[in-house]
Amino acid sequence: MSVLARVFEEAGLTTVAIALVREHAERVQPPRALWVPFYFGYTMGKPDDPDYQHQVLAAALGTLDAAAGPVLADYPEDAGPLGMPQASEVAASTNGDTVKPLDAADEITALRGYYERWQEQRGRTAVGVTGIPQRRFRGIIRFLEAYAERDDADMDERPADVSVPQFVRYCADDLKAFCYEARMAQRPSDTEADIHTWFWSETAVGSLIDSITQRLNATGDAKLQATAYGLSR
Amino acid sequence: MPRLSVLSEVQRQMLQFFPCMEADGTPWSPLSKPLNQTTAAIVTTAGLHLRDDKPFNRDHPGGESTYRVIPSDSDAADIVQSHFSIGFDRTAIYRDINITFPMDRVRELAERGVIGSVAPNHYSFMGALRDCTVVAEQTGPEVAQRLKAEGVDLVLLTPT
Repeated sequence: MSVLARVFEEAGLTTVAIALVREHAERVQPPRALWVPFYFGYTMGKPDDPDYQHQVLAAALGTLDAAAGPVLADYPEDAGPLGMPQASEVAASTNGDTVKPLDAADEITALRGYYERWQEQRGRTAVGVTGIPQRRFRGIIRFLEAYAERDDADMDERPADVSVPQFVRYCADDLKAFCYEARMAQRPSDTEADIHTWFWSETAVGSLIDSITQRLNATGDAKLQATAYGLSR
Repeated sequence: MPRLSVLSEVQRQMLQFFPCMEADGTPWSPLSKPLNQTTAAIVTTAGLHLRDDKPFNRDHPGGESTYRVIPSDSDAADIVQSHFSIGFDRTAIYRDINITFPMDRVRELAERGVIGSVAPNHYSFMGALRDCTVVAEQTGPEVAQRLKAEGVDLVLLTPT
């Protein structure tokens, strides 16, 4: 991010960067940056809060007033607590002591109504990295179940220039987005932590993804372990 | 992110030893016109792209240093994310694309007369790259030239 700011400014463009890690901005020294204390994923502070996002933007544009740089301004707010436990933290906190429902494919079918409600309410969905329509996600589940057992599992829809591990990642991202969006429609008052905890402790899809992580980690192959690191940890 | 000193040991170690590309001095190109006459574009490192574009791909030789063009009049419904990291909470962008890619906010800045206009295109790269050499030497300068050709004065850079 800050590297791009330098490249653009060198080319004669004026840049304003938002920096999430102050210590990185101090090292890379982009011309103008606003450090925000928000966690990764929360660059503009608060989702669904245009006024707040405009405050952050105005503070960022305020760095344009400086006559010389580098300028690294601080956004004067607190980030609040992070509500994103990872799979291993959820497992540690629940002792794996929850009942996993259904078959993952049946779970997807059961969540479909909520997912479609979310899509209708919001007018958009984050599902779509694989390009496979959600009505055909049972096929993705069957592929991932096979991949959780063995390396040579594959899916016809995988593009030729995408490796199987990379395609597994796209599949996992689509399934996560589907389940999370369904859950947010089903339980609008749940916190982020509630949703992550639910996904990793109570869903068959979460268990399936984590079982792939565990198999890949056990292979000792660095490339497969890198894929695993992007599935769950 | 909160300052490293208040993060957990694991997070602090990971961020403190991240291989940032460091250089002496800082380039400086101030605006040559008032803000309310500028044309602005967003360049994000959130790994976003149009739904029918190619997702970012770890298999890409030499690391994923490519970029995607996102026309500024795109509908948020047509944009998806294929970022490699799961170290950030995606519920935020599931709810609101503007949390990382403030396309509607920048449009509103133009409507309010804070900036002059929104550029025809925004651009997107993969973030959290451990080696930015190709971005710094090839794809970054390429996007800079595209932005200039599209009349851009001001670039807002947003990570995730």
